[in-house]
Amino acid sequence: MSRRPSETASQRPRTRLGVVVVDPLPVVRAGLAMLIEDRPDMEVVAEAGTPEECLEVMGRVRRNRVVVLVGLGLRGEHDASWLIRTLRERFPAHAILGCGANTDATTISRVLFMGADGFVDKNIDPVEFLQSLRRAADREMVLAGPAPGAVGQIADGIQRHRDLEVRLTEREREVLSVAAEGLTAREIASRLGVRERTVTTHLARIYGKLGVGSRLAAIRMATRAGLVSVGASAD
Amino acid sequence: MSDDAVTIVIAAGHAVIGEVVRRSLLAQPGLEIVGEARDRAALLDACRGLHPDVIVLDDHLDDPERSLGALRALRDEGVAVAAVVIADRTDGPSVLRALRLGARGYVRKTDLRGVGAAVRVVADGGRAIDPEFEQAAVMALGTFAQQAREGSEVQATLTPREHQILLMVSQGFTMQQAGHRLGISPRTVETHVAKLYRKLGVRSRVQAVARAAQLGLIEP
Repeated sequence: MSRRPSETASQRPRTRLGVVVVDPLPVVRAGLAMLIEDRPDMEVVAEAGTPEECLEVMGRVRRNRVVVLVGLGLRGEHDASWLIRTLRERFPAHAILGCGANTDATTISRVLFMGADGFVDKNIDPVEFLQSLRRAADREMVLAGPAPGAVGQIADGIQRHRDLEVRLTEREREVLSVAAEGLTAREIASRLGVRERTVTTHLARIYGKLGVGSRLAAIRMATRAGLVSVGASAD
Repeated sequence: MSDDAVTIVIAAGHAVIGEVVRRSLLAQPGLEIVGEARDRAALLDACRGLHPDVIVLDDHLDDPERSLGALRALRDEGVAVAAVVIADRTDGPSVLRALRLGARGYVRKTDLRGVGAAVRVVADGGRAIDPEFEQAAVMALGTFAQQAREGSEVQATLTPREHQILLMVSQGFTMQQAGHRLGISPRTVETHVAKLYRKLGVRSRVQAVARAAQLGLIEP
């Protein structure tokens, strides 16, 4: 975590490292691109502002050493977790790094569980940031930015996430994450295109599986496990 | 006991190790050893009764498997204590395990003279873990995340019956015994086992058990 950033070691002239920058904010993308383009050993090969756009541009990336930098603030039909999981499946050879600002341990757990090769915080020193990209490209696990001591918490978060994930079906997780937005059963039903009765059945089964008595308790448990994020922005 | 001294309990599995730790602690001003424990039970008692600020915990007490587990037991009981772990092993999974249990210091047993300084740092609210150990733990975290993901994916594909049979296979049941226990024919058990192997991507019972433990489907 607190590795001294030295820029000399991995600047041997070989294929330049290709970076894909995915972030909803154009200014963030531009800033990262300037930082990266300034180095002789790496370049930005694609940019995207949404998960869908990312998958679209990924098809055009022809490169051996690729790092996809996924901003955790991505929102919309799909979010950053979905993108990371999808990239992991479709591009197993690429390195994927989650990228956020002052991100909490639970969110980092989710990012790693979904298949990221590491996490970098935007608040770290630029030299260290770039060094993290190189290390990720060399298939190293990277954790740059989180407080020392977060490693144990992150591992616990991954464990909780896994435990919850295997207990609930995909549909149940979906229902629970919509419920976490504070919607009523009727609203959840119309969002998911099912009957209200189906939603209440799902919820009852979720409570049973999680051993809780209320929706609030279920949501709290899911939040702690990083299954859903409530309110607080992940970025 | 002076008011501002840092109180410490030493839990070492071996008298010699306990003595080296003691000397290292005594070399630091302001540290006061209030108790020593040779085994897990004595450590728990000492922490409950003496409420030390810091414990120095050997990862190899009477019961090596459960030595560090004492930290979890204390946490569950609500006994707040900072821990400096002294260990033979500094590989990633070992360090990660200690970190997950809340260790704030990690000292290799070959460097025991440094334990006093580590306790001082931890008592002041800091952390005393070599960056090299911490990096090893980060690498282990990557492996852990990958296995958790793969494990949950595989587990989602297992039927309750297959999971049941996996547990029995890992406990050494033969096909006949498993069939008898479940009230199905050995032949049916074999069919389940074949499917189970395919899902786990293995070809033998030994591989199946190893893979399942790695993926967290059964207790290692």
